[in-house]
Amino acid sequence: MGTMVHTEPSLDERVAFLKKQAQQVRLHIVKMIHKAQSGHPGGSLSAADIMTALYFDILNVDPKNPKWPDRDRFVLSKGHACPVWYVCLALKGFFPVEELDTLRQFESRLQGHPVSTKTPGVDATTGSLGIGFAQAIGMALEGKWLKKSYKVYALLGDGEMQEGVVWEAAASANKYKLDNLVAIIDNNNLQNDGFTDRIMPIEPLDKKFEAFGWTTRRIDGHNMEQVLSTLREAKVHRGTPFCIIAQTVKGKGVSFMENVRGWHGKPPSDQELAQAIKEIEGGLK
Amino acid sequence: MSVGNMKRTGGTEMINPKEKIQLRKTDSPTRKSFSERMVEYGQIDKEFVVFESDIGYSTYSYLFGDKYPDRYFNMGIAELGTMAAAAGMAADGRTVIVSGYGVFLTMRAVEVVRSFICYPHLNVKILSSHGGLTAAIDGVTHQATEDIAYMSTLPDMKVLAPCDTYSARAAFDIAVKTPGPVFTRLMRDPLWDIYTEKDTFVLGGSHVVREGKDITLVSYGDIVFQALEAAEVLAKEGIDAEVIDMYSVKPFDKDTLLESARRTKAVLVAENHQKRNGLGYEIGTFLLKNYPWEKMGQKPLKFDHLGLEDTFGESGNYFKVIDKYGISGRAIAEAARRLLKGSDR
Repeated sequence: MGTMVHTEPSLDERVAFLKKQAQQVRLHIVKMIHKAQSGHPGGSLSAADIMTALYFDILNVDPKNPKWPDRDRFVLSKGHACPVWYVCLALKGFFPVEELDTLRQFESRLQGHPVSTKTPGVDATTGSLGIGFAQAIGMALEGKWLKKSYKVYALLGDGEMQEGVVWEAAASANKYKLDNLVAIIDNNNLQNDGFTDRIMPIEPLDKKFEAFGWTTRRIDGHNMEQVLSTLREAKVHRGTPFCIIAQTVKGKGVSFMENVRGWHGKPPSDQELAQAIKEIEGGLK
Repeated sequence: MSVGNMKRTGGTEMINPKEKIQLRKTDSPTRKSFSERMVEYGQIDKEFVVFESDIGYSTYSYLFGDKYPDRYFNMGIAELGTMAAAAGMAADGRTVIVSGYGVFLTMRAVEVVRSFICYPHLNVKILSSHGGLTAAIDGVTHQATEDIAYMSTLPDMKVLAPCDTYSARAAFDIAVKTPGPVFTRLMRDPLWDIYTEKDTFVLGGSHVVREGKDITLVSYGDIVFQALEAAEVLAKEGIDAEVIDMYSVKPFDKDTLLESARRTKAVLVAENHQKRNGLGYEIGTFLLKNYPWEKMGQKPLKFDHLGLEDTFGESGNYFKVIDKYGISGRAIAEAARRLLKGSDR
């Protein structure tokens, strides 16, 4: 069990499905963070299209057997964006969708930041920026050592690039030719205190990763066709580690959250939720 | 070499606490002994791997790398990334040894050890060289004098501090056989051997390496030798000191400690570490709560603790440095006399 056999729909059909699915994901994100009255909507929404493509097209995972040894690994290095991950896991069938309402609550499996020992489908405990990516190096080494064909996907924030350990990890991926490793950078240019290019500039990310021996692609992280085709390219890529720099908008899909600093880690009010739902459902039609 | 269930040893071929311990000079520092056992064990268990941050020729982990190049990952001068990658490789249960210097592994990488190794209960075993002032010659930046505090504070972490070749070899076996994270504090320089391959070691165990009735000297690692020296000095003055090698620092051997403390009614802990949050703090708190104070009459228990007094060490000859900072045999003997006289209490 575990291998996914699809009768291949056309790329257009996949893209259309994933676009709709991403809006569903966004709907759950704002609802669960509203319910918890705590959490990080901005970075969850910016990653929604990438995460949807990963979970509903790319990743070879089995919700019935979360620890299946041959599964693709996914590491959310920007752990604070776990609402988007929990939603994808729930919609994929790792746990009931109703459980999303327990986000951050007492004795919930859905902790404030991802915990591998609590949540089915969570392969690595994360939440301290940079460290998830560095753990992904070890997971990719493990895959190589076992001569497994699975890939390790890590989603990072762009602010996270300011952590020195990211570059320790980037260098080691090159040394060990970890072509089973795919890093995706959610390049929304907004971090807790403000715009990333003003807090501590980290560009040019493509040139930096290329200098570290990675193959890079720069894409529009909200253009589902680009997201999907680039992830599919990464999936079969061999020879080097692969880095996708996905240009995104923090808070994407909810107008008053888009590119606004304050929505890094703030829940919406009742009124704001109603507005957000209206906008996202509008996008669903 | 075996790891058994015995907490104390006796008999003719094993260490005999009734006889004077012979300190046997060794050429092998504990970091080397541990690594040598790791190489041997590599043959027994082909599943574990070793991560190094470019001091393999110092920790002697290179011995493993030479024999098993495909199981040896030198991650460069990057302790944080090394520790995190080790966590990643251990994520599905594999045993990963991380080798390096105590200061870097327990301080630069402490958050990874805490949140991403201890919290998910991964089989990461830390080979930590240059514990305490045993790296005296290298100066403060290389002296891990807070490592026991950091590591023993972490939930799920076990802490070992062997003193010689045989206990260091046994520490490797304990580390790999104990589920979850284990930290082993090792020394830079060769000192002495007191055990033989017949002696057994176990997680939570200790060895009474010298029996006595007047005071219990508790120590671990290199200071065990200093405690033994102090016991010899004190013996000439008619003070009969018991010496416990508390090689398992967390968990430590509460039964042996309590039994000894009840007999001697005086406990002196000496450690190559900050006093604050070292084993002495742990033992002091334990005795406060568990010692049978009411049953022990007028003078129930005397207690003192030697270690770094809220200060850093310095470069220099190891023996001169530990004497200056109050953890040499001379200093231990002096503290024992003071304690028994009760003049400083």
